[in-house]
Amino acid sequence: MTVRPAGQPAEGDRLRVLSGRRLRRPTVAPWMIMAIIAVVAFLGLGFARTSLDSSAFELAELNKSIAEQTALNRQLNLEIARLENPARISPLAEELGLVIPANIHQILVDLETAPPVVVERAGDGANQ
Amino acid sequence: MTTTNARIRFQPAKVRIAIIGLLVVLAWVAMGYRLVQIQVFDAPVLAEEGLSQRLVSRDLAPQRGKIFDRNGDLLAMTVEAQSLFAVPNQIEEPLWVAQQIGGLLEADSERLFERLSSTRDFVYLKRQVDGVLAEDILGLGIRGVYAHPEPTRIYPAGEVASHVAGFVNIDGVGQEGLELVYDEELTGVPGRAEFERGLDGTPILQGISDIVPAVPGVDLNTTIDIPLQYQAQQACMEAVQRTRADNCWVVVLGVETGEILAMTGAPVFDPVSRQTLDPKCDRLEDPTECKMFSNFIVRGMYEPGSTQKLITVAAAIEEAEVAIGTTIAQVGDVLELRDDACRSAEDDLYGCYRDFKEHETRDMTVAEIFTRSSNVGTIMIADRLGQKRLVEYIEKFGLGRKTGVDYTVESPGVLNFAAGCETCWASAAIGYSVAASPLQMAAAYAAIGNDGNWITPHIVSSKTDVDGDTEVAGIETRQVVSSGTALLMRELLASVVERGTGVNAAVDGYRVGGKTGTANKLGSDGRYTDDTRASFVGMAPISDPKIVVAVVVDSPHFDYRTGGAAAAPVFADVMEQALHRLGVTPDGEER
Repeated sequence: MTVRPAGQPAEGDRLRVLSGRRLRRPTVAPWMIMAIIAVVAFLGLGFARTSLDSSAFELAELNKSIAEQTALNRQLNLEIARLENPARISPLAEELGLVIPANIHQILVDLETAPPVVVERAGDGANQ
Repeated sequence: MTTTNARIRFQPAKVRIAIIGLLVVLAWVAMGYRLVQIQVFDAPVLAEEGLSQRLVSRDLAPQRGKIFDRNGDLLAMTVEAQSLFAVPNQIEEPLWVAQQIGGLLEADSERLFERLSSTRDFVYLKRQVDGVLAEDILGLGIRGVYAHPEPTRIYPAGEVASHVAGFVNIDGVGQEGLELVYDEELTGVPGRAEFERGLDGTPILQGISDIVPAVPGVDLNTTIDIPLQYQAQQACMEAVQRTRADNCWVVVLGVETGEILAMTGAPVFDPVSRQTLDPKCDRLEDPTECKMFSNFIVRGMYEPGSTQKLITVAAAIEEAEVAIGTTIAQVGDVLELRDDACRSAEDDLYGCYRDFKEHETRDMTVAEIFTRSSNVGTIMIADRLGQKRLVEYIEKFGLGRKTGVDYTVESPGVLNFAAGCETCWASAAIGYSVAASPLQMAAAYAAIGNDGNWITPHIVSSKTDVDGDTEVAGIETRQVVSSGTALLMRELLASVVERGTGVNAAVDGYRVGGKTGTANKLGSDGRYTDDTRASFVGMAPISDPKIVVAVVVDSPHFDYRTGGAAAAPVFADVMEQALHRLGVTPDGEER
């Protein structure tokens, strides 16, 4: 048996065309990233702006409501003060026959010597 | 090859496209240039111009402070009203509009018509009307009639507190009373708002906004008790009717605090219409005569008459010249300090002093002289004291100088001790040649009630601002007589009410002390007339005085010309209400 060195491969054998597509890692172009960032930023800015506007509107509404309630409160206080005016009440009281009591008796109690007074409510005794 | 060797042929379409392309490029270049010019080179100037058009600046009016009584009830506050105005050149039928609006506004239609027919751009129809009324008028849909909000001052207690609170003018500036005294503090500090506005004038929410908020005015908490003020006013009005007097004034003072609990009189005025509320005013042709706003209690001066004797006797006791039981010998009913001064009962000259009632000449104790209000006896006591010391004590008790009360244009009073006046000391001893305000007299009596300690009377107890409450400063106290002298004087005052000239001042259940005063008024010729100012100043309860009440009734009918007849019943009425309002423990007997 004789040994022969292996022959050089033919030109056509070295360059072979493989069938099918070569698998590559997917890549995203930088401009696309920038575009996406720009779109997201734009949307985010719009959202933030809308939120702020919405809050500002709410704030404006609340301020308006506070002003209205304050004004109403003032009007009610004024109404109370007018109703409490003795110059208004006194003639009405007189019409109803009310007068300032002629004899006012004041009972003076010496708290140091007077015996303690126990006041019982009607319901308390029944429960015990 | 055909491409390299081909002859260039003229192609019109390509030329046109090239020209158009060139023009488009030029247009873009021009626009770009303009854009750069606007956005870069001119940007700061244009931005500033635009901002100046959008940016508006407004003053923010501060809310005027409120005024409260001692119970927290409102005396004055500011609310929003509507001011109605018109643009005359927009009014199509001025006469019809004047008739329509005049009725609703209760205004003179002819004057309204004149305004609506004028050539002015803007006329007020009525300022500060109620919001409901403004809505009714705007509801008529008249072109050229509009309203804008404007603050207006309201006084819920009306005339009851008018002599305390005072009033403001239509522009909200204090004109009288506490409104004037504390005008600056009540007004507050205006703010300022800068903001961007849209085309319709509304603020741009996210635009530039720089707001310096207005600082509201301070609220005043007064010492006035409105129910008591009303009672005092009613008592005065009844006194004016009963005695047919010109007017009546009453002040209620806290003895231990110097707080003015009530300060009023009759007639009073309406703080809104600024008209005196007096039936006499309805009969006057000239309404300007009914513009009496002046508070006599603080600004008035009157010769206090016998109420002054408290100071004379207190000074003599303090200086140990007399004691209560000291007998003054030979007290007559007429004293002549100048020759022939008492030439006739109808025509006394200066230097003639008479007791109110004739009596025999006899020895009288100091207590009796005081209780019976003997002019001659008091002058004899003052003679022991001497003019120098008498004047010293009159000044110590606060007469002849302002009390320092927080109210406008206070009267200092007059002490007439001109050089060469030989009888002025005697006149001063019995309340002539001296002019004081009712408040000065009340403060002097309060010093006796407060164991000899004089306290500055005051109306405002504290102020409330954004930082909370602040107590008022400047309350002065000074010892004018010893507590022992004050105690003796209180007993003398009580004896006046129990068995002297002031029996009408008694209050059921309490020991009351006080002194009547009847001072003849000076006529236009400089001589005293029969017309009087009747007064009563007193305190209760005598065992531990809490309240001083001073009453002055001006020109009562002759039948009521004395302090005991005209003023003492008012005192009793007001004092009783005050004691009950403050819940003061009785120290006397029920009648």
